[in-house]
Amino acid sequence: MIQILTLALKDLTVMFRDKSGFFFTFIFPIIIAVLFGSIFGGDHNGGTRTMTVLIVDEDSTTASQDFIKQLDAAAEIKIVPSTLAVASERVRVGKNTAYIAIKKGYGDASEQMFWGDPPEIEIGVDPARRAESAMLNGILMKYGSKRFQDAFSDPQKMLQNLNISKEAIENDSDLDTTWKNNLSQLFTDLDRFFEFESNQIEELDSLPADNSTTSAENNVMLPLLITQKNVAVLKAGPINAYAISFPQGIIWGIIGVAAAFGISIVVERTQGTLQRLRIAPISLGQVLAGKALACFTAIIAIDIVLVTLAVTVFGVSINSFVLLLLAILSSAICFTGIMMLLSVLGKTERSVGGIGWAVLLVLSMIGGGMIPLMFMPGWMKTVGTYSPVKWTILSFEGVMWRGFSFSEMLQPVGILLSIGVVSFLIGVIVMKKTS
Amino acid sequence: MIRFTNLNKSYGKRKVIDNLSFTIQANEIFGLLGPNGAGKTTSVNLAVGLLEPDSGSITIGENGSPHSKKDRLQIGVATQALAIYEDLTAEENLLFFGRIYGLSGKVLRDRVDWAFQFVSLENRRKDKPVNYSGGMKRRLNLACGILHDPKILILDEPTVGVDPQSRNAIFEQIKLLNDAGKTIVYITHYMEEAEQLCDRVAIMDDGKIHAMGTVENLIETHGGKPVVKVKMNSVSEVIETDDPIRKLDDLRRTGSIDKFSVEYPNLERVFLKLTGKKLRD
Repeated sequence: MIQILTLALKDLTVMFRDKSGFFFTFIFPIIIAVLFGSIFGGDHNGGTRTMTVLIVDEDSTTASQDFIKQLDAAAEIKIVPSTLAVASERVRVGKNTAYIAIKKGYGDASEQMFWGDPPEIEIGVDPARRAESAMLNGILMKYGSKRFQDAFSDPQKMLQNLNISKEAIENDSDLDTTWKNNLSQLFTDLDRFFEFESNQIEELDSLPADNSTTSAENNVMLPLLITQKNVAVLKAGPINAYAISFPQGIIWGIIGVAAAFGISIVVERTQGTLQRLRIAPISLGQVLAGKALACFTAIIAIDIVLVTLAVTVFGVSINSFVLLLLAILSSAICFTGIMMLLSVLGKTERSVGGIGWAVLLVLSMIGGGMIPLMFMPGWMKTVGTYSPVKWTILSFEGVMWRGFSFSEMLQPVGILLSIGVVSFLIGVIVMKKTS
Repeated sequence: MIRFTNLNKSYGKRKVIDNLSFTIQANEIFGLLGPNGAGKTTSVNLAVGLLEPDSGSITIGENGSPHSKKDRLQIGVATQALAIYEDLTAEENLLFFGRIYGLSGKVLRDRVDWAFQFVSLENRRKDKPVNYSGGMKRRLNLACGILHDPKILILDEPTVGVDPQSRNAIFEQIKLLNDAGKTIVYITHYMEEAEQLCDRVAIMDDGKIHAMGTVENLIETHGGKPVVKVKMNSVSEVIETDDPIRKLDDLRRTGSIDKFSVEYPNLERVFLKLTGKKLRD
């Protein structure tokens, strides 16, 4: 075992010393993942750019339409009109993060500045998406409070509101008579005050406008009544484009490692070090085990580096770390086997390098390493079934955004393990025969 | 000691080792001399278990086999190809091969220090071989072969591509190893090297040993007499003689000598006589 570890350590050292090899194995996949993620609008939902939200207007009043106009002009969100059923379904299947429903009675409630319930808004969001939910609450409150701002800065509107409130109080049979009289007196005094204000403003209309406004947040009254409806997401779509590009980046890293180690076995043969190793008191099996261990370790390293980067920097989430471990191990076993098979495809570095890369590129092409699986036409997806690249990407997508369950994960993992074991055995048998 | 007994090996229809039988004695420098393709490296590969003979056997020591890991520990090889990792430093190379041979800890460090000192590379141990000259790489290759202190050292063309200074250094190191009790198997197609170094030489061609013995014995048996080449009165003549000096003196008395040279028998001539071809063919 010590000899196998020594061999593996040597191979990893040699790999890390080779600057171009290191670049194509570790740096290139990161560039691919980040570049493709950015091209496909990677951080559209990463917290710094606008969130696309479906809007449902159940009230269809001037007030609700004004509110929609305000939201439409808002920089923080992008709204898309919808119906409640469609919006709810789209959030449920993960196509949209959230919906906003302006409930019936919004317009009437908006008019009752000093009386009754505030206008009601419903947010439909996955309960797991707490950050998005909180952000949406904040945005809605911000624009909801503009109602007060407008009312207080417009005495005419305020007069209308006072009259509506006075009428509501007078018609309220549940209210105590003493309270009714006191409130009527208060609203009459306010009425006089706003009448005077209105006249003053008309005189000042010709003067430059004063932009200073009262902060809506300081108002003691609630601008909106926001209720949250939890919409459990069945299968989330990718949280952002990096959830698609990082599995692709990972596959490029794995391919780089497999190709590098496949070639390294031939290099050992051509430069004579394999001969020296075979003369040493170790078996060919140990030599190959050392090579396989190094390849396996390097693949796991690149997987971990890219997954960590995806999660910590690019906001990709992992739905299960156990399943992630399965994806990492199965992809490492699969491509270690493929590496062994590649190493016996030719007798020289050039032939193994050429054939190896050609095979891997084709596998990558049909397996979604270049074009994401979800964008592939149907026939291509069928062809891709024969590529381990597809199953590797699928296993990582499974934990990054497809929300695979353990049983769903078994298919890609099982296929990857089978390909790995069969390839490894063929490679070892051919190697033993040709050596 | 390595004993080859009735060894045969073919690649397809081509027979590369043809009923080979000879014994390399302990503590001798044994030269295997032959042109490229004579079967020298194949013999070595059979001796270290890299190849399986079609028939016959190889014995290492008293009863050892090339397939036994323990017996293979007795053998060190400096391969014809520079079997070193250019991306590792010289020291990392030696540490790696030492560990592969089961060395560790202080023993490993001491052996690495000794090997560097032995091949005079102690000042360059932290350098990568890619920055070495051809001769230095050969010396590092030798160090990798002797690191585990083998009883038998097989050197396959150890001076290929080496400058004269490094070549002399390698010769001195080989003699020192032999003085320390190691058995050296020296494979070469340079007859001067075999003459200079080897206690016994086997002349090999087409997978067979054509003759074997000490250099003097081979020359005496198969080399023929010294040859005097002389040009007198515009006529060239080649004369075989036991005493070239007396012969030249006799010729001088008969007339004026325009030009002359004397060729003493050597391994080159032995090889030519035995195989009908020159060593570097």
